[in-house]
Amino acid sequence: MFVDTSGRRSKVLRRIGLLVGTVCLGYTAVLAMAFMGWGTSLDPSSLLPFDSGQSAQRPGFGQQGGLGRQAGRPTATPSATSGSSSTSVTGSSSTAASGSSAAATAG
Amino acid sequence: MTTSTPSRGRRRAPTRIERAAGRAAALQKPRVILALLLLLALTCVMLLDGYLRAEVGGDERVRSGASSSKVPDKILNGGPILTFRGGQARTVSVPDKTIALTFDDGPNPTWTPQVLKILEENDVPGTFFLVGSMISRYPDIVKTMVEDGNEVGVHTFTHVDLSYQSDARIDREMEQTELALAGAAGITTTLFRAPYSSETDAIDNYSWPVYQKLGEEGYTSVFVDTDSDDWKRPGVSDIVKWATPKGSKGASVLFHDAGGERSQTIKALPEYIKKMKAKGYTFTTISGVMEKQGAASRQAAGTGAAGSAGASGTQTAGASGASGASGSGAAATAGGQGTAPGASGGAGSTGSALQAAHHKATGTILYEGKALLAAVAIAEWAVPALSVGLMIVGVAVIGRFGMMLILARRHYRQRNRRRFTWGPAVTEPVSVIVPAYNEKECIANTLKSLAQSTHPIEIIVVDDGSTDDTAEIAESLGYPNVRVIRQDNAGKPAALNNGVRNARYPIVVMMDGDTVFEPDTVHRLVQPFADPGVGAVAGNAKVGNRDTIIGAWQHIEYVMGFNLDRRMYDLLRCMPTIPGAIGAFRRDAVLEVGGMSHDTLAEDTDITIAMHRAGWRVVYEEHAKAWTEAPGSLAQLWSQRYRWSYGTMQALWKHRKSLTDKGPSGRFGRVGMPLVVIFQVVTPVFAPLIDVFTLYSMIFIDFRAALLAWLAVLALQLTCAAYAFRLDREKYRYLLMMPLQQLAYRQMMYLVLIHSCVTALTGGRLRWQKLKRTGEVGTPAGAGR
Repeated sequence: MFVDTSGRRSKVLRRIGLLVGTVCLGYTAVLAMAFMGWGTSLDPSSLLPFDSGQSAQRPGFGQQGGLGRQAGRPTATPSATSGSSSTSVTGSSSTAASGSSAAATAG
Repeated sequence: MTTSTPSRGRRRAPTRIERAAGRAAALQKPRVILALLLLLALTCVMLLDGYLRAEVGGDERVRSGASSSKVPDKILNGGPILTFRGGQARTVSVPDKTIALTFDDGPNPTWTPQVLKILEENDVPGTFFLVGSMISRYPDIVKTMVEDGNEVGVHTFTHVDLSYQSDARIDREMEQTELALAGAAGITTTLFRAPYSSETDAIDNYSWPVYQKLGEEGYTSVFVDTDSDDWKRPGVSDIVKWATPKGSKGASVLFHDAGGERSQTIKALPEYIKKMKAKGYTFTTISGVMEKQGAASRQAAGTGAAGSAGASGTQTAGASGASGASGSGAAATAGGQGTAPGASGGAGSTGSALQAAHHKATGTILYEGKALLAAVAIAEWAVPALSVGLMIVGVAVIGRFGMMLILARRHYRQRNRRRFTWGPAVTEPVSVIVPAYNEKECIANTLKSLAQSTHPIEIIVVDDGSTDDTAEIAESLGYPNVRVIRQDNAGKPAALNNGVRNARYPIVVMMDGDTVFEPDTVHRLVQPFADPGVGAVAGNAKVGNRDTIIGAWQHIEYVMGFNLDRRMYDLLRCMPTIPGAIGAFRRDAVLEVGGMSHDTLAEDTDITIAMHRAGWRVVYEEHAKAWTEAPGSLAQLWSQRYRWSYGTMQALWKHRKSLTDKGPSGRFGRVGMPLVVIFQVVTPVFAPLIDVFTLYSMIFIDFRAALLAWLAVLALQLTCAAYAFRLDREKYRYLLMMPLQQLAYRQMMYLVLIHSCVTALTGGRLRWQKLKRTGEVGTPAGAGR
């Protein structure tokens, strides 16, 4: 009973066993990589929304989005606007002045 | 106890060297590696499932009451959208008469689709902040969400308070969520909302660094202007009221589409949308807000209007001028609202404006994301399947114990009633067949015990080609009623057949060469034959060497497992095995079914089933005791159980036709075989799940509850064992071994079963199986039996 002298069954099962073993190994590998976050290289320049034309990943978005910035690489602007753009306007009486200056430097 | 393995019985044990070599080879065998890999995968599946349900690595801490001294005032008093472009923190407010609907904690299979439907019906978009573990489990909803034109943001993977977490953990939470999102909808996002956050003025000294860190990485953190508090379930009207901003101010509004009972949210949402629309509000996404403000400020810059009209970051209605004046901007956003097909590459940049925070996922992150979701799908399927297995084994274990207790009690009371009798006493002589292969140590004891039998017997010793003078020893004892028959080594079935052929009397008793009988054993064993329907009787085999750990384990097993089982099977008329150590048969019946066969390794099971199929009744006689020596080492025990397991499967397969037969054969096939399969195959296969789930629950869920559940199962088994011991009048002290025995035996039986299944499937030949006699191949020397 059950004995298969030709050995064919054992070959088939061996292959199945190999497949199952590989799947198990692959499964573990996928989970390990996903858990550690490997392969998700998100760097700031590709993440910033409304990156004026820099990110090639948004096809067809023609508007130069941005809060008052001209087209220009974000890295270049900080030096120019660092003084004023950081002050998020809070509605104090001096807003008008700083606001217009912000607009002016941006524009 | 002796450690050397005497060549005894029908199986010659391997020498020490052979054993060591065997062990080394066994560890490298592919099946062991495969088994370890499967175990690894199983562990991963369970850990993943636990992680997704926050049972593994969950952190329920929520910070409260911390100071915000280090957070810049302009942020605390700023709008709900926080960006860090150029390394500078700035906030953006929602323009007047604009609502940004935000939904936290999704996707949820019950509520989120309803929310999406409401949004579509009312032609408004929303922004959903999704929890990564939920995205993994329900990716289709997220795909629909994005396709419908809604925006999505990250709400961490396991919904933890990030201010308590290390940098590494924060990174992992974000990256894992982005992976899940990439796999689900093919995008990544730059929007973020922290769990347990609310308005910007609630940012404290611990969460501020988190926002800074995420801002550097390019995330835009989104807060709340008006909180509907819908999770408190205060009633539909309150939800709508609290979600409404004052006057004509714009707001980022918080709803929840998951995390509890959200039917009130579902009812409140359409009301709210209609109410705000009636007031002249427009709805948009967070990116829509940014876009609106951007257009407004460009407008303002273009016309040189005063700062308050368009400067970014004005909290108050700088937008009021903007929304009126900025024609292109307004048109764009107005057109952008609710244009359903949100294909980001579409002709209208409007669709992509509302989803500007989305970036197409390509390459590694896309494939890894999809692989992750596939892994999650497997785990989501596997764990419930295993739970079903656990339930099966739970039902089987409890059912078996219930049946055993009820039926065993009935059997005991029935057979031990004073008036009980099988019929007129059986006094005719019987033949006792003793097959022996190299039993020089034991044969003398065996024959001596038989010589003291109270019942008239003839003893037929069949020497199966022994090489150690077993036959000579038997003859030299000089007992008058002993006959020694010699044959060439042919295996135990052949020896027994030889004995049956040469037996003079109509009843034959079969035993092993190393079994010791008590004086009244034979007499008690043959009494059931007074009933003409009885074809075979199983005796009560007892473990003699019960003072070692392994011996004690087997003692428990014999008393509880085998003998308690036999009482049950006797009453149900489906006993699968008569022990080779002590069994009695009608000679004619044995010859009728063809004698003992070589087809299987478990000839005792084979012939018992054959007797059932021929219509004979097989009963259990508890008072006919025989003493056997059980395997003394783990290796021998494994070997024995492996053969029994494989042999039983062979026998069941050989007699599989009985399932569809009529009459007594069919009765066995439809009642006995399923019982045997359930209790001796299915239960051992799933039984380790008890321990696996207990271990998992103890570590990750609730230590005490899990331990108590496991102890409850053990208590059940102990009760059963105690009852079995009581029926057999055995000493209770061996029960102390029971906890360890149950644990170890479960794992061992499971492995043995898997081992024998694999052997059966691959069709390999065991060492003990004989080659088919074709005449071309000689009897393998020393092949054993």
